[in-house]
Amino acid sequence: MSLATLTKDWAATSYGFLDASAKRELRRKMLKAIAVPGCQMPYASREVPMARGWGTGGLQATLTLVNPNSVIKVIDQGADDGVNAASIRRFISRVSGASETWDTLSATIVQSRHRVPEEIMREDQVLVLQVPNPEPLRGVEPNISIARQMHADADYGKLWLTLYEQIVRKGRIMQGASYPSMVNGRHVMTPSPIPRWDVPKLNMARHLTILSAGREKRLYAVPPYTRVEPLVFSDRPYLVEDHADLTCRRSGVSGFFMNELPQDGGGSVFEVSDSNLGIKAIDTAQGTPSEIGETWYRNGEFSA
Amino acid sequence: MLTVAPPDAVELRSNATFEALLWALSRPGDVRTLPEAGFGAIAETLVDLECSAYADTPVMREHIVASGATLADRIDTADHVFLSAPDTTGRQLAGISCGSAVYPDDGATLVVAVAHAGQRVRLSGPGIKDTTEIALAVLPGFWAMREMLCLYPEGFDIFFVDGDQVIGIPRSTKVEVL
Repeated sequence: MSLATLTKDWAATSYGFLDASAKRELRRKMLKAIAVPGCQMPYASREVPMARGWGTGGLQATLTLVNPNSVIKVIDQGADDGVNAASIRRFISRVSGASETWDTLSATIVQSRHRVPEEIMREDQVLVLQVPNPEPLRGVEPNISIARQMHADADYGKLWLTLYEQIVRKGRIMQGASYPSMVNGRHVMTPSPIPRWDVPKLNMARHLTILSAGREKRLYAVPPYTRVEPLVFSDRPYLVEDHADLTCRRSGVSGFFMNELPQDGGGSVFEVSDSNLGIKAIDTAQGTPSEIGETWYRNGEFSA
Repeated sequence: MLTVAPPDAVELRSNATFEALLWALSRPGDVRTLPEAGFGAIAETLVDLECSAYADTPVMREHIVASGATLADRIDTADHVFLSAPDTTGRQLAGISCGSAVYPDDGATLVVAVAHAGQRVRLSGPGIKDTTEIALAVLPGFWAMREMLCLYPEGFDIFFVDGDQVIGIPRSTKVEVL
């Protein structure tokens, strides 16, 4: 063993921004996260040129997975052209040489904030979700050490109690995004602030989902074909947002998750949240057919 | 203007190795291809100075020392275990680290050289649509030992390496000897 074999040549930057030791740690933790679906694994969370809380966790997971053949799609609240999404996508492609896309069908890695695409993801695709608060128990147990012990004991009574209290006080479950969900019948996770509409897409999905919280330094995963069951009482069925009958004012598609745009007159208009789905529909209507893949929701009903 | 550092040979190999390991563990029973045969690239991909590792061959022990990891002298104290000539009855694994229910990530990663032929087993659990059947050259005692040790979410995760082919069996997989 010589010094030359233990060191490597100087380089201005590392491929994919993260250094080799950061990547090795993330790889080890991602493998453990897959082995115990839904269980939060601590990791060091390195500095990236972006403020914590803006998707640094997702970015680090993506930078570990990425290679020059990857095709990256980044979405922010359903849109590919948001400032945050566009900046992250451009950063990833600049530091890795990966190609960029807006199309869910051609992406190999989809990094997302707050939405799962409407088109069904394939077996070879990875969905990386940015997570602001990975701890479903935070609202009921502020002490993270005790919360960790509660996960170890599968002690989720207080979560059930919050859902019960919502029903008692308001007559329905008020939890909108981040709906607590039981993974593989053992660990409750927060699926990141995706709407209730998107949670069924993670259940027995074909793709791999990695959820990473950079500020909170934890990551967890949902492997393909893994049960993800929202916590519900047997006599109170799980309800997704009431968007099945809404129509997008720009693309004309209906039966998908919509953004509500309040109007001066007091009413609202709606636009499809998965912006690329809307673009494809508009292109097709204008005579340049654009392939829309099979979608999880058909005619507003979840049917995958 | 930021210029892309092109991936060097180590980066490309580690990235491809990780991709194989990631999908192998995500879909237990699926056979994935490593960029090169043997344990060297797997150690390079996962092990560094934050780890402790055990190996049963001098070559792998040299790899581990070169990576900066602590070389464990017993399986019990290692978080990465590389066995080129595993005891297929599983007795050797009795002390392997299984983590705790509080920190399941402390459970070991076991990398073993085992031919993908022999005893048939049926797998079910996360990553498998219904069930899948594979053949691995380990005796039923190996699976009995695993079942005794892996009290989910405690347990250890296994990569069965045969040349450049790898099969992953995470602790969440239920294994039924046929």
